[in-house]
Amino acid sequence: MSLLRRRHAAAIAIFGLAALAPLAVHDAFLLHTVVEILLWGALAAAWNVASGYAGQVSLGHAAFFGIGAYSAALFGTRFQQSPWLGMLAGVVVSVGAGAVIGYLSNRLRGPYFALSTIAFSQVLLVVASRWRGFTAGSEGIPVPFRPGLWSLGLGHVAWVYLALAVAVLYYLLQVYLDRSRVGYQLAGVREDEDAAEALGIASRRLKVLAVVLSAALTAVCGSLWAQFVGFVDPFYVFSVDLSVRFALMTIIGGAATAVGPFLGSILITSLETYLRATFSGVKTGFTGIYLVIYGTALILVVRFVPEGLAGLAGRVRARRRRRPQPAVAGARQ
Amino acid sequence: MSALLALDRVTKRFGGLTAVRGVSLEVHAGDLLGIIGPNGAGKTTLFNVISGTYAPDEGRVVLDGHDVTGLPPHAICRLGLTRTFQIVKPFGNLSVLDNVTIGSLARVTSVRAARVDAERVIETCGLAPYAATRARALPIGLRKRLEVARALATRPRLLLLDEVMAGLTPSELGGIVDLVRRLHAEGLTLIVIEHIMAAMMRLAQRIAVLHHGELIAEGPPAVVAADRRVVDAYLGEEFVLAEA
Repeated sequence: MSLLRRRHAAAIAIFGLAALAPLAVHDAFLLHTVVEILLWGALAAAWNVASGYAGQVSLGHAAFFGIGAYSAALFGTRFQQSPWLGMLAGVVVSVGAGAVIGYLSNRLRGPYFALSTIAFSQVLLVVASRWRGFTAGSEGIPVPFRPGLWSLGLGHVAWVYLALAVAVLYYLLQVYLDRSRVGYQLAGVREDEDAAEALGIASRRLKVLAVVLSAALTAVCGSLWAQFVGFVDPFYVFSVDLSVRFALMTIIGGAATAVGPFLGSILITSLETYLRATFSGVKTGFTGIYLVIYGTALILVVRFVPEGLAGLAGRVRARRRRRPQPAVAGARQ
Repeated sequence: MSALLALDRVTKRFGGLTAVRGVSLEVHAGDLLGIIGPNGAGKTTLFNVISGTYAPDEGRVVLDGHDVTGLPPHAICRLGLTRTFQIVKPFGNLSVLDNVTIGSLARVTSVRAARVDAERVIETCGLAPYAATRARALPIGLRKRLEVARALATRPRLLLLDEVMAGLTPSELGGIVDLVRRLHAEGLTLIVIEHIMAAMMRLAQRIAVLHHGELIAEGPPAVVAADRRVVDAYLGEEFVLAEA
């Protein structure tokens, strides 16, 4: 029990605080930020499944996010249907798209795979912004607010708990990937695909599955995000910026760790919200400051804590325990 | 007795280059077959064809009665044949125990049971003191050992070792020769690629010699070492004189 508590201490603290937030705070802006942190954290966790755990680094996950966002918005506006049905459609489309992208990962390795994912998201951007008859083109889609759970027109408190449920679910899924047989096998594929194959792991199938799962999880959050924010803009939902954001939060927090994406989301989301609030009046010069901060944070993390914030916590804990490591003579990198 | 592994006129070409040409070989349960030959003779390519990394252009690979020609490596591993890599491929960021556990998971579905199994294999291979060490922190001698341990954890009936002795210090070499001998004594069938002739002459029951992708000799070590074509292609006169 104590082991369980220690291993999940950070996650329990984060989700516990989020659960208590609506009871303690009534400020809409703060609650809005809590929802954002949870949703972005869940999105980073979704990215982590394909890119962290399976090692198939995607810089095009905005594609799946956009598919989810557009599905929810179009179901609400064009077909007068529940965004939940839109979410379902978004998941189905993303699974298909994820299978294609996942298949590509068997042909293209490393940077070539990442480039092809960018291209994929850009193609969807062109489609969404030009297909005026269906998507309303570059004007985007305002999502109508219809109160109720079925129509996903919720107040801030309800949003906190919905986002929390999704975040906890994604966290638990990652914990499963940490411990289970398939998690070990994914780690093998990530570290060395040829060696994994020789050890009986069907690496190609496993990679496709990871990308498909990651795509579906991303689409779910895309739908929720569209309903939460109330507007879908193709140049935002399919942007490379967004894809980079998922990657950045996960890497800063700790890739291939369950809590990492949420730590990264807390840091990046609160930083960005703060900067936006502080510098919003200053239109000249400071509008892009958050990008400078992103870049600086990334450089610092890669230089000093390449395993991310989650790894930093583990390192401090290990030092406190001072577990002796067996000395290895002549160890080389 | 039917062969555990049978190669039937296996050919593998890369563009205009024929890396392996019409090789037929049989390995029976309990054998320890050595494969030697100059660099570029096609030894590793032959391993790649047997283990499923490449499909041969011609010929068949039959494992214990199953035609495995063209099957992917993971399927062949499930059927009981696995290999190590000449250029070691450890899961660098994982501990030695996790590395071997991944191998065990090919046979055991429960992670807990696989870890217990992996600990036993690590013990066998003399890696117990390093169980918690990250694989990339190991020196080359221990990495080669890890390569063997991980493959063993998949419980193969036939294990292919690709130059696990190359680049080792004399004491490391002695350790791994003992390990291979012990595994063979316990009933494992092995095919071993090696350049170190002294070790090979002592270890192998039979030696196959590849030259320009062709099998030019096969037989007991002493017979192969005296074969004129082998001496010309690979060993050189000095080796024969030294042996005599």
